[in-house]
Amino acid sequence: MQGKIIIFGFGSFGRHLYKHLKPIGKQIIVVVDKNNYTEALDDEQIDIQKINIKQNDNIFDLGIDPRDDVVYCSMDKTAHNLFLVLSLKTLYRQLNIIAISNSFENARKLRYAGATSVIDLYEATSRRFVHMLTKPAVMKAIDEIIYKENNLKMAEITLPKDSPVDKKHLSQIDFKTHGIVLIAIIDTERGRELSFVDHSIDHKLDSGDTLVVVAQKENLEKFRTYLERK
Amino acid sequence: MNINETKNFIVKLAYFLESSVQYNKIKQFFYDLLENDNYPYKKYFDFFMIFVILSSVTLLVMDVKHHVPQWLDDLDLYFVTTVFIVEYILRMWVYSDIHKIVIETHEEAVFFSKPLKLSNVFKKVLKDKWEYMTTPSAIIDLIAILPSYRGLRVLRVLILFRAFKMLRYTKSLTSFLEVLKNKKFELITLLTLSGFFIFIAGIMLYVFEGNDQNQNIHNLFDAFYWALITISTVGYGDISPVTPEGRVVTMLIIFTGIGLISFATSIIVSSFSERLTMLREDRIVQNISKKESITVICGFGLLGRLVAQELEKEGVSFVVIEKDSDLAEHAYSMGYKAICADATREKVFEQLKIKSNISHVLCLTSDDIVNIFIAVNVKSLNKNVHVAARCSDEEVAQKMYFADVDQVIMPEEIAGMMAAVYVGEPVAFEVLLSIIDQKDKIQIDEIEITAGSLGDGSTLKELQLESLRVILLGILRGSKRKDPEFIFNPDDDFILQEKDNIVCIAHQAAISNLKRKMQ
Repeated sequence: MQGKIIIFGFGSFGRHLYKHLKPIGKQIIVVVDKNNYTEALDDEQIDIQKINIKQNDNIFDLGIDPRDDVVYCSMDKTAHNLFLVLSLKTLYRQLNIIAISNSFENARKLRYAGATSVIDLYEATSRRFVHMLTKPAVMKAIDEIIYKENNLKMAEITLPKDSPVDKKHLSQIDFKTHGIVLIAIIDTERGRELSFVDHSIDHKLDSGDTLVVVAQKENLEKFRTYLERK
Repeated sequence: MNINETKNFIVKLAYFLESSVQYNKIKQFFYDLLENDNYPYKKYFDFFMIFVILSSVTLLVMDVKHHVPQWLDDLDLYFVTTVFIVEYILRMWVYSDIHKIVIETHEEAVFFSKPLKLSNVFKKVLKDKWEYMTTPSAIIDLIAILPSYRGLRVLRVLILFRAFKMLRYTKSLTSFLEVLKNKKFELITLLTLSGFFIFIAGIMLYVFEGNDQNQNIHNLFDAFYWALITISTVGYGDISPVTPEGRVVTMLIIFTGIGLISFATSIIVSSFSERLTMLREDRIVQNISKKESITVICGFGLLGRLVAQELEKEGVSFVVIEKDSDLAEHAYSMGYKAICADATREKVFEQLKIKSNISHVLCLTSDDIVNIFIAVNVKSLNKNVHVAARCSDEEVAQKMYFADVDQVIMPEEIAGMMAAVYVGEPVAFEVLLSIIDQKDKIQIDEIEITAGSLGDGSTLKELQLESLRVILLGILRGSKRKDPEFIFNPDDDFILQEKDNIVCIAHQAAISNLKRKMQ
């Protein structure tokens, strides 16, 4: 796998993020602000870089590759995240930046500054508290698919050239026999927009289309192998 | 019957009443009807009494210029008076238990091996009931009965005391008096000060103008009357000073009057603003405590606010408890039921009737330790309440589970998991955000199979979910069990059962359509 992951900030969120990114197996660099650095952060296992985030040269020295690297802005203060997003976007226009926010209002500012995606720290949590009270089955399903470390996984598959499903319509493919639930698709014939597969459109599959599916890991691998068959 | 037989009879009667279920039931019923604000039928009694009082006052007013028919007058005399007398006696009865005093005195006498003295019993009973009779509301009740004596015309005016009786039945009027009661010291100071100025000014004017210089001042009473009218800035003008000395006194008293009125206004206004929140919260507690299955949100920070917004959208009945008065006020201004209280104390939960009415407590403060404290407080009061807490530290989360917290939710953990999905799979991440945030019309939802509904006993194939434009994720079986089973992507011949939950992703309209069909 190409590209590395750079996490700015190693507070409470940064640590959780590191924990979940580590199993992916990519190179992870944790960057902390020199001015707010504490000795307690030192860990032989973690590649921690201490820089002055206000200095562009310091950021350049990290050797960010804007095409393949993913940057997470997870500093404790939203103002620092906003400053970072702006700095990174000025230096690397193409860079994928995921920023953390603590409110809807700050999420808007971060998106405006150029963050590719913003995760609201409390939005998903509040939804979870509410699901617990009003939709326990939904909560259990989301737990199984997203939060629990089990076999079930949500994943995306980009269709290769000349796959067995190439030029076929969705209605012609029995995803159930593959143990897969198809949720959404980017049908390149129709543009780059993501649409949920609620059976209102019988999409024709072509190479380059992206499918978002939920499946058991082994079924997912089998399906990927099946698609590679010419 | 000699004295000993009488004593024995009284003691036996007292023990009989103490053990009689029927008697205690009846007494409790009347107590609830007259005094217990939470008793559902009390309001009907209150309405009835207000109606009786208003009718009585209307008759008094009508009687001034019109002739009131004899039957109405009789109704007022006999019916209303009877109601008031019965109510007075009942209130006196439920105020305390005479038989308990008898038992107490008897047991005391037995303990000290002394004979029971009936005079002691009577003294105690009298003292107890006198205590009730001298309460302001009991005095008003008694005076309200007096106008029934028609011999003295002046007593008719006392019917107005019946209007005062309404204070008993309307909470807001009582609250107003409560507010004034709390400013007793300030109001007494104000009254003394006013009295002093009126006294001085009245005497000065009488000295300057009382000796026939002013035709309108005949005696000291006129001078005091003038001083009161002037100091209150009313100034009728029926008595006005004629001498330069008198005018100087008037000028001084006018300035003093302005000061005193400002003082009075500020006392009452500040008292109201201080008490308003408390009065409002009392009302919230009363309203909420009548409901069942209440959810309590502890903490109204960023997360508390978001959860409150979502719960309101879902139509869940909840109350916010926040220690910080500004945040509690903010919650109230957003239209939520909010109480400014410390959720780590039992008082507020007792008021909300945690034993019977609270179903869920969400500990959402930003401090993990406070959240544990609240959770332990709630669980120690009622183990059956479902407690969910926010937590930022995994080690603290372990302690929370040890303290029997049913669900621990970690914002950083959730966001971290979501963020990790992005790497290599940005499209899946977008879908994930869309499903979790529910900002689009596409939603993840659940539909419960009820007994005898379309889904009960059908196979998934028969439901034809695809034609209903629904993406089936799975079925949750045994949702009421402690560990329900999520069956992911079940086969077409899977047979649905009562209480299964279909978990699906679809457009809002498609979900509503499916829910309708399932009903």
